[in-house]
Amino acid sequence: MNEIHDKSILVVDDEQDLRVMIKSIFERASYTQVITAASAQEALKILSKKMPEIIILDVMMPGMDGFELLQEIRAVSKVPVLMLTAKGEAEDRFSGFELGADDYLIKPFLPKELLLRVQAILKRAYPESNRIVFLDAVSVDLDKAEVHRDGEIIPLTAKEYSIFTKLAENAGHIVTIGALCQTACGEIWQGYETTLMTHIRHLREKIEKNPSTPVSLITVKRLGYKLIVKGVK
Amino acid sequence: MENINRFFRKYLLKSAAILILFFILNIVLIFCVLIWAWQSSSRPEIPLRQISESITLDENGTLTAADTLPDILDDKKAWAMMLDDSGQVFWQECMPDELPRKYAATDIAKFSRWYLQDYPVYVLEHPAGLLVIGCEPNSIVKYNFALDVTYLTTIALGIGIVIIVNVLLIVLLFWRNTRNVEKAVVPILNGIETISQGNPIDLPAKGELAEINIKLNNAGDYLIKKDNTRAEWIRGVSHDIRTPLSMILGYSSEMEDNPELPAATRKQAGIIREQSEKLRALVSDLNLTTKLEYSMQPIRIQAIDPLELLRQVISEFLNNGLPDGYELELSEADTNNITPIYGDVSLLNRMLQNLIQNSITHNPNGCQITASVRMNDGICSFCVIDTGCGISESYLALLNNDVNIPSSQEETAEGEHGLGLKIVQQIVKVHQGNIQFSNINPHGLKIEICLPQKR
Repeated sequence: MNEIHDKSILVVDDEQDLRVMIKSIFERASYTQVITAASAQEALKILSKKMPEIIILDVMMPGMDGFELLQEIRAVSKVPVLMLTAKGEAEDRFSGFELGADDYLIKPFLPKELLLRVQAILKRAYPESNRIVFLDAVSVDLDKAEVHRDGEIIPLTAKEYSIFTKLAENAGHIVTIGALCQTACGEIWQGYETTLMTHIRHLREKIEKNPSTPVSLITVKRLGYKLIVKGVK
Repeated sequence: MENINRFFRKYLLKSAAILILFFILNIVLIFCVLIWAWQSSSRPEIPLRQISESITLDENGTLTAADTLPDILDDKKAWAMMLDDSGQVFWQECMPDELPRKYAATDIAKFSRWYLQDYPVYVLEHPAGLLVIGCEPNSIVKYNFALDVTYLTTIALGIGIVIIVNVLLIVLLFWRNTRNVEKAVVPILNGIETISQGNPIDLPAKGELAEINIKLNNAGDYLIKKDNTRAEWIRGVSHDIRTPLSMILGYSSEMEDNPELPAATRKQAGIIREQSEKLRALVSDLNLTTKLEYSMQPIRIQAIDPLELLRQVISEFLNNGLPDGYELELSEADTNNITPIYGDVSLLNRMLQNLIQNSITHNPNGCQITASVRMNDGICSFCVIDTGCGISESYLALLNNDVNIPSSQEETAEGEHGLGLKIVQQIVKVHQGNIQFSNINPHGLKIEICLPQKR
């Protein structure tokens, strides 16, 4: 059983049908520890006994609402929280983020969307040890920031590591130039594009068999880059 | 407001013009009456000089009248007599019998100013004596005026002053009246303008037009209430529909992915899931368009890199997988001078998404979509071009008309259009930009959005 599926999930929603459905979605996706609460008070009781590893929290609840409960939770814990909002209004999202929510999902949602968000939060919050990304020519040990090529170990620089990690987290998807620049140098990244290209060139020299014709770290014309992985351990 | 001021300025000028026209018309009418009276006079003026000259005194002291004199006098129904220094009539023509033939100096003084026994008479000095020409009674009115010069000057001056004062008074009253009308009407017109913008009004319920003010206040309240009810209803419905829709989406999706179910059932579940997703998109669009319509959408202005924004939107489409037959790319436009713009990132993201989605939705046979961004003189232009079927000229004109783009709720000849472009137009308006639609050769649609770099 995958470690991520052993994480305990608390679903707090006043709608019984929705709680049952969310529980069913997770159980079908092989999550083994899903508990539910019908109100904020019931959730607080559960939390006082044992803190789950992720909380899925509905915003609109009678009595204490999701935001208030989030404040209570944040006073004692940094447990990841995914907010479910039926309003979908911008202020709801911003209020949630300001209070410390990790992500939000607007109702109605697809089971796939819920699973992906929860998975992403769990991966971020509880990074797996010994993470190795297998590429066409090399494997990359993310914990040690090393590239293993034919028995040779090539270290990644800090910038190369952060760029590679971002690409690996979004493997198979385009990561825009701006998103990569932001990963490498923070919020104010404008003007960093040329430097990014240099880092990409260096990365290719380390991970590609032939850096001039890359097969793992692909350029998507004018948009960004995409990492093609063979597998992740 | 400028229109209203212009209206009242024109009204005042028109009033002044009416006043001037009134005076001119009166003068013309007076002259017309005078001409008419002169022309309708049955007896033209008696030719005194001709009569006097037709009576001659020869060297022997004999008085001779011309042969034409009796005809002239008869024609005018007049008569003539000649008095000597003693007041004795020594010549006469057609003179009525009842009149005396001798007159004292007092009689002569009287009739020379007034009448001779009801006969209006003219008195002329003649070489033979005093020529008196009489007319028939009630044919001529005679008045004698003798006025003091100072009195007459004062009267003339007074009349002039009265006329000027009258004119000034009329102008002042006109102006004051117009101002009063303006004072009463301007708040009403402003109120109507405020209502037309969908804002509440509170006109004072006093004055002569209080009833109209009250009715306008009621109309404003009614419209606001109606708008609020509609917005509340849409928000309420879109909120209440979300949980049941979550259930439908969740379970249909589960069933679709459940390998234990028969293929036909899974396919049906897939259809339910697809339709539910459409319903979800519609609810989301309806909610956003309503909030933008009623300025209920909070706008978070921040610096945005427009090129990166476009990259993210395109990447999202590509990452989610484009349907077969579609190509989407970022254009090779000059992106060197692109600097941040100020706007709401989530709304601008939605705007670009809708533009690209519009090309996909309305070209079911596939097309090539090219998006670009460029910066020129502080204006950021986003452009989405597709090689699809384009749109009809009539709908193109409607879209470029700067009025509200029709949604699927409004009947148009073009049929179903969804809320996508309407939302785009609303977002552009929020960012004080403009949007232009055009067909391209040989076929396809170009949508260009220009946004000011700084709001």
